[in-house]
Amino acid sequence: MNPAESILTRRRFLVGTARAAGLLAAGGSTVSWLRAASPGRDANPFALDVERLQHTDPKLIHYEQVARFQGCAPDPRRIAVGPDDRVYIAAANAVTILDCNGRLISEIACAAPVRCVAVAAEGTVYVGVKDHVETFDRTGQRLATWPSSGRRTWLTGLAAGEKDVFAADSGNRCVLRYDKAGKLLGRIAERNKDRHLPGLVVPSPYLDVKLAPDGLLRVNNTGRHRVEAYTVDGDLEFFWGRPSAGIEGFCGCCNPVGLALLPDGRHVTCEKGLPRVKVYSPKGVFESVVAGTETFYENAKTGALKTRSDGLVGGLDAAVDSQQRIYILDLVANDVRIMQRKA
Amino acid sequence: MNPGISKPSSVTRRQFLRDGARAAGLAGLGGLLGLVAERSTAKGTVWQIDPQKCVRCGNCALYCVLEQSAVKCVHAYALCGYCQLCTGYFEPDPNDLNTGAENCLCPTSAIKRTYIEDPYYEYTIDEQLCIGCAKCVEGCHRFGNGSLFLQVRHDRCLNCNECAIAKVCAGDAFRRVPADQPYLLKTDTF
Amino acid sequence: MKIAGRRRKTKGARGRRWALIGGMALLWLLSAVASLAEQRFPPPDFEGGHQLPVTTTPPARALTLDYLDVGVLGLSLGLAIWLVYRRRSRKGLIVLSIFSLLYFGFWRHGCVCAIGSLQNVALALGDRSYALPLAVLAFFVLPLAVAIFAGRIFCAGVCPHGALQDLVLLKPLKVPPGLEAALSVLPFLYLGAGVLFAATGSAFIICEYDPFVPVFRLSGRALMVLSGAALLGLSIFVGRPYCRFLCPYGALLKLAAAVAKWRVRVTPDNCTQCRLCEASCPFGAMREPQARPGTQTHARDRRRLGWLLLLLPLLLAGGGWLGYRFSAPASRLHPTVSLADLLIRAQGSPPKIGALTPDDLALERARQAPQEILAAAAAIQRRFAIGGWIFGAWVGLVFGVKLISVSVHRPRTDYEPDSGDCFACARCFEYCPNELVRRGVIPATTLTAAAPEISGPPGLDRS
Repeated sequence: MNPAESILTRRRFLVGTARAAGLLAAGGSTVSWLRAASPGRDANPFALDVERLQHTDPKLIHYEQVARFQGCAPDPRRIAVGPDDRVYIAAANAVTILDCNGRLISEIACAAPVRCVAVAAEGTVYVGVKDHVETFDRTGQRLATWPSSGRRTWLTGLAAGEKDVFAADSGNRCVLRYDKAGKLLGRIAERNKDRHLPGLVVPSPYLDVKLAPDGLLRVNNTGRHRVEAYTVDGDLEFFWGRPSAGIEGFCGCCNPVGLALLPDGRHVTCEKGLPRVKVYSPKGVFESVVAGTETFYENAKTGALKTRSDGLVGGLDAAVDSQQRIYILDLVANDVRIMQRKA
Repeated sequence: MNPGISKPSSVTRRQFLRDGARAAGLAGLGGLLGLVAERSTAKGTVWQIDPQKCVRCGNCALYCVLEQSAVKCVHAYALCGYCQLCTGYFEPDPNDLNTGAENCLCPTSAIKRTYIEDPYYEYTIDEQLCIGCAKCVEGCHRFGNGSLFLQVRHDRCLNCNECAIAKVCAGDAFRRVPADQPYLLKTDTF
Repeated sequence: MKIAGRRRKTKGARGRRWALIGGMALLWLLSAVASLAEQRFPPPDFEGGHQLPVTTTPPARALTLDYLDVGVLGLSLGLAIWLVYRRRSRKGLIVLSIFSLLYFGFWRHGCVCAIGSLQNVALALGDRSYALPLAVLAFFVLPLAVAIFAGRIFCAGVCPHGALQDLVLLKPLKVPPGLEAALSVLPFLYLGAGVLFAATGSAFIICEYDPFVPVFRLSGRALMVLSGAALLGLSIFVGRPYCRFLCPYGALLKLAAAVAKWRVRVTPDNCTQCRLCEASCPFGAMREPQARPGTQTHARDRRRLGWLLLLLPLLLAGGGWLGYRFSAPASRLHPTVSLADLLIRAQGSPPKIGALTPDDLALERARQAPQEILAAAAAIQRRFAIGGWIFGAWVGLVFGVKLISVSVHRPRTDYEPDSGDCFACARCFEYCPNELVRRGVIPATTLTAAAPEISGPPGLDRS
């Protein structure tokens, strides 16, 4: 080896730098070409695509939105409309009372999470606080605190009749019947082989109960995707509903999550998963859509759904006022929209 | 080394400079140690997914450096509804509620359905088959109670210095957790 | 006997006390879990008394094993020092290299390694919330501490990357000195870039672009496996290309080895300038004797050195400015900054419905808290601006120092390896006739050189 060749001089170093730079440029461009050639992160090959289910045929939509306002408290759960068309929302640890334009009138604060609310014809407010019922008068004064009926009680729906108050207990999978003084009269819809009652299947705390004009109770048996009609003594009269992602059925694993009744006995049902509100005939035949999935942008995005500590993952609730307008409470967007039948 | 031997002065100067530089290097290393050590932990850290932040983007199945991802679906049995029509198991609108592949969501048939009593069924994940794609997690989260969620399984994870999935996680759900409490289960927070 | 009995009794009492404390702790934990369970919506009441299964939680690797790795590292370093300086045995180093390759490489999958650990240290310095595990810190400090005293012993037989390249080297070719000097600047640039991206929390680029870890894991993305195979193929003909031209930790080791107390000597005693070891180093680390320059060349060199020293601050400033200019695109490597970019570009566009890609999902997440993301991205870009100045100045400094070192001629009387470049692989030992005499391969009378004047431990540098 010639020693002179191995001596490092400045010129050789700078020439070497140029060659090194050339090598690096060649290598870098090869790498970037290879990277461009490989598929990027454009698509999720494992995506659960429900897009085709999120479109509603416009001919089925018979209602239009006339108003919309934000709720005042976080974590909304249930909505009720009082006899004077005031809006009662059970949210966080209180019942917020709003007028039909969304202005806050008053608030009934409670010590524990308020899960459901119902207003009687004379104005008494029945509030489902965690595992028991508390009653308040029109002005918001506390009247009574009823005792809890058990350890697993988890009230998620209330209906106030003339003589009775009905509380939907998701925890015990039944409907509790109280008189107006708070005495427990009986348990409805509980599993009972002798009375041939299959019982309610409640995978998530969305059990609701409403008193229909025909004197029967309507209970949403969410796990079986149907609405069941019970007498106040606990006999199952009839039921309707079937699971389906299509518009006539109830989607997902547990629906409908909310019930409301129009004065002629038609059912208003709310669903989660594919959030939508529909109207069924008094016997359970699908009639029309009040609001389709594509209108619930926030609610339909699963990214916005967080598993809450109260077990609710999204959902909707509905209530009907004296003019047969339907109020829809969006649990994710925390807003109320008022829907009126199209002319 | 024999101290009696005299060396040329340039060598002693170089040696002195070198000794000085060595001392400075050691001091620098020690200083660095001091700066960093107060925030050091004796415990190691591992990677884990925060189930509340996961958006079920599907990257866990694709970006792990292992061929079969170390991320698997796990089931929080206390949160499950045990539904007959499980939306984490069945496609939306299945033809029939059976184990036919056409009806099932899971691309590798990793979720198993066992009958308990009417109308309850139990769903378990076979980790040998699960690829961590989050399709069942999406179905359970969207329609159901959200009892299925993804977790990094530490009998498989290599605990890379920089997790390749963490870098591309769409929900920014990955974080370092102490190695002695390496799981962020949903039942820990609910 | 009596004493033993009393000791046993106190041990029993102590054991009972611990059991009581443990029981209370367990009860407290159970009650906490139970209270959580009471808040939770209960699962259905199974009539048949079905028991809910428990979610399994397979534990992570035991901490003691991490410290075992540190112990093995320390022992291997000690063994390597002994093999290079006392035994002067290439065969021993080969065996150690195979062990390191198997343990640190294929068993531990090359992670955590000393090379990557410098990023962890950088992150710990740059991010107050990151807690650096002590085992990783040990991986960073131990080889450096050894290098300050004994040179690049870590590279000799302990680093799995080096061991892999060393063991496949079959036909070493000589890299032209200009190219070699230019490429030897790369490890310092890689070091600077690695520290910049790690300290800002953007990426561990040294880990991402490590070519040999896919070989250790026996799996990886196509590009990584290809680059690993290519570099491995190159290693058959060019000695240790990653170590010489890329390894950022090697840059640190080079600096540490430059001030090492012990140096690798080709000859166990005096060098006779017989030139037999000239071509012995496959890594281009062997330096030849150089006479002191004459007074004229010395004066000219001093003037050149003066100009170069004046040039140095210009290089630093220029480099720093360039680094600052390129800091904005560099910051996009940070996931938060790239998300903020996406957010700004997607402003005003309607939200997407239907099947969402991961980028769409990330964008939706960003849209829920846009101000936070934008503020975080701005903070990161400010840090990158500062880091860009520092990194640019570092690049300028590296080039300037390299130019100066090329211009400075150090007189040398013996053939000896450059302490910063020498990997202590012990290949050059058997080229030296004095070494062969020491090993008893050739008789001492073969040599005509004078007997050594100073007797001391063989292999130690006496300068």
